[in-house]
Amino acid sequence: HIDPASLLPKLPRPEELRPFPSIASVEYLGHDGRVRSVSIDPSGQWLASGGDDGTVRVWGLTDGKQQWQVKLSSEDPVDVVRWRPGHEATILSAAVGEDIFFMIPSIENPEVEQASRDVLDAGFGYAANAKQQTTAAGARKDGPAKWSRPGGRLEDEGVLLKATVRSSIKTIHWHRRGDFFTTVSPSGQRSAVAIHTLSKHQTQIPFRKLPGIPQAAAFSPSKPLLFVALQRSIRVYDLQRQELVKTVQPGCRWISSFDIHPAGDNLVVGSYDRRLLWHDLEMSPKPYKTMRFHEQAIRSVKFHRSYPIWADSSDDGTIQIYHGKVVNDLMEAPQIVPLKTLSGHKVKQRLGVTDIDWHPKNPWIVSAGADGSIRLWT
Amino acid sequence: MDTPMGQPGMAEAQQIRVNFTTSSPDIQLPEGKSQLLVPSDIKRYGLSRVLNSESMLDTPSPIPFDFLINGTFLRTTLDEYLKANGLSFETTVTLQYVRSLIPPVYQASFEHDDWISDIDVLSATSRAGLWSGDKLATGQDRILSASYDGLLRVWNSSGNVLATSPAGSHSASVKTAKFLSSSQVASAGLDRTVRVWKYTESEDRLSAALKPTLELYGHKASVDAIDVHGPTGRILSASADGCIGLWTTSKSNAPAAPPSLLPGAGASASKKRKIASATTPTSQRGALSLMPVHGTSPATAVCFDPHDSTVAYSASQDHTVRTLDLTTARVEHAINTLHPLLALTTLPSAASSGGSSVLLAAGTAARHITLIDPRVSAATTSVMTLRGHRNMVTCLAPSPDSAHALVSGSADGTCRIWDLRSVRAGTKAEGGGGVCESVYVVERESQKAAGVRKEKSDVPGRGAKVFGVAWDRTWGIVSGGEDRMVQVNRGRDLLAAT
Ligand SMILES: [Mg+2]
Repeated sequence: HIDPASLLPKLPRPEELRPFPSIASVEYLGHDGRVRSVSIDPSGQWLASGGDDGTVRVWGLTDGKQQWQVKLSSEDPVDVVRWRPGHEATILSAAVGEDIFFMIPSIENPEVEQASRDVLDAGFGYAANAKQQTTAAGARKDGPAKWSRPGGRLEDEGVLLKATVRSSIKTIHWHRRGDFFTTVSPSGQRSAVAIHTLSKHQTQIPFRKLPGIPQAAAFSPSKPLLFVALQRSIRVYDLQRQELVKTVQPGCRWISSFDIHPAGDNLVVGSYDRRLLWHDLEMSPKPYKTMRFHEQAIRSVKFHRSYPIWADSSDDGTIQIYHGKVVNDLMEAPQIVPLKTLSGHKVKQRLGVTDIDWHPKNPWIVSAGADGSIRLWT
Repeated sequence: MDTPMGQPGMAEAQQIRVNFTTSSPDIQLPEGKSQLLVPSDIKRYGLSRVLNSESMLDTPSPIPFDFLINGTFLRTTLDEYLKANGLSFETTVTLQYVRSLIPPVYQASFEHDDWISDIDVLSATSRAGLWSGDKLATGQDRILSASYDGLLRVWNSSGNVLATSPAGSHSASVKTAKFLSSSQVASAGLDRTVRVWKYTESEDRLSAALKPTLELYGHKASVDAIDVHGPTGRILSASADGCIGLWTTSKSNAPAAPPSLLPGAGASASKKRKIASATTPTSQRGALSLMPVHGTSPATAVCFDPHDSTVAYSASQDHTVRTLDLTTARVEHAINTLHPLLALTTLPSAASSGGSSVLLAAGTAARHITLIDPRVSAATTSVMTLRGHRNMVTCLAPSPDSAHALVSGSADGTCRIWDLRSVRAGTKAEGGGGVCESVYVVERESQKAAGVRKEKSDVPGRGAKVFGVAWDRTWGIVSGGEDRMVQVNRGRDLLAAT
């Protein structure tokens, strides 16, 4: 444990490390109840959100105007919203209970809308060619997931595909090329971690047995590796050779979230026991730095894709912004500087900022709050 | 002519010799009348009365004046000023007189059903009014508002809606609209189209109609800003697809529309949209050119050069301002700034000797406005920084009276008026350079009204973001935004005429 104050004198001052987000610029109001997840689309113009009211909403990022909404469930919350990577199609995925919904919000031009429909529909053709057993509705009976049309009202509103797994999904993570995505259902036992292939409407279970309960999973942004976080460790798998290549021990009691640096060799981990850990994967299985800035659980950690900044969010209602510079040199250690604490979200029933996401280009971050609001910080 | 101008019984008061000067040609004193003796205890009001009197300017109705001594306004008696500055009572004091400044007093609000995205005005003094010549009727003062509800509205000065665009024309939020003349309007928005409308008023001018004449296709994402040039019938558009579009209002000169972007293209379009397009008799056309000058970053603003309609300037979230040659559809010059840009306007350059050059004001997401010299030869492109807004700067408009002034609108729920002559040195934290601070802040009246609960928020301007502003000699400062109100503020004599 390192006292942040003792680090400060040696480090550059935050003013010298601009740009980074420092003020709340836009508040997106409309959700009834907690907002659980936020995601900015690859173009940087649209913000998607999901929450306890069972709705997914799409907002203009800079003007804050809601432009699209769909109610996915009248009972269950929307736990996760994530845009599919790529510019040629605009597809939003959302998890509600055991279902992953795929939708095309009506914000796109006819060309992109058609391309998006084609991406979602391709798997129906594959399923038919594979001559696998299907029900009358087109859902496959076998396999760890059922892929199907979500039915009348939802299809009219732009929700065009649904995949149903066996237990409640807590995370969705897309591979950068936009065909694979991985989901984690912590209560799913043997099928807790799933890898899905959108173009084939296919779901695979990569691990028969894991030595713990999975919390989150993510593809490396630069290597053919899959990272799986259990409660106390993160396991790194080589997907091609189907083998465990590394195990990271952050030294916390319960991992909530992690993110991989865009260059692929560094990792940040957040935990419910308030610890924040930076791992240099080249250096050691132990953390390079352990930090404790938050008074409550850490819910989300994320790297910016181009600026040397990253952030975490906590149930104490704040978002902490850090500078994190990774040098392409084995001898030089990463430089980590706390830059700014963003406060504004209210803590409701001991829940604070549930999720964060960075803008793909600008040094802007959005946050989802248990207080029912979403904020853009610039 | 030395005439003591004291009141009776004040003959004993000490007298001071003053010399009146002004830089406003319409209020010059006649030859030989500029020097006189005044009582030393005279203040601004007394001096203003002296100046208005029969023997001086002989104004038909009194003009309130302010007086500058060595660059500062006289706020005390003359003798107090002289004592405070250690000056002799024997010297002749030069008083530069200027029309008194009147703040941008609130005039009226016009209520909408949804957020307002953009504002333009029509009047004898507005750009479109001047382009209309004698086709503009006397007193045809109009406001054009674009709204997130997908509609355009034209308002008269009593706050009545004379015309609303037909529902369903723009199939999503309108983001921008401008008058090309007293009978033509252009608009664009989230549905990716630029549209041209014929605007006609009834004989009694109590009602009017907006009839769609042209739907222009080509952009692949929201069109967030346009500019128009009435005399040539050209329209410029800035889109989130990173392109700048150039369009003509002439049906016969416009290229065909790209079929793949028309509503109903492909199997994807909903039935609703197919029906809507089938009932629209409007002509569909394409762009004269679509210039992909900002890559994958949204283009946020575009302006014609005020002197040369074959030149344009565009701004983008990619931090750049670009000079475009519209004849060749090429970028002539690119200027990099440090922040995403959201708004742009041209200002006639008062400083330059050439006379026909311009300055650009660019509104940033980082809460300030950068003043830019777009000439390739300019040694420093960033002329100065305008600081004071507390949130993103969303819109800009030049002053109709002064090359030194502009108004800005921001997501912080204010419009600010800037006098570019008042410049201080920037602090280190501000990155040095020249810094200008606003002279007036126009708040939203809707937020002052009783019943609006003042909830403390960490989001500056929450619920009152300003998205559009226009500044016209006739109308004043007209702004609109998230509070669904078009707000009119007085716009004359806000700034010293020195
Ligand atoms: Mg605008």
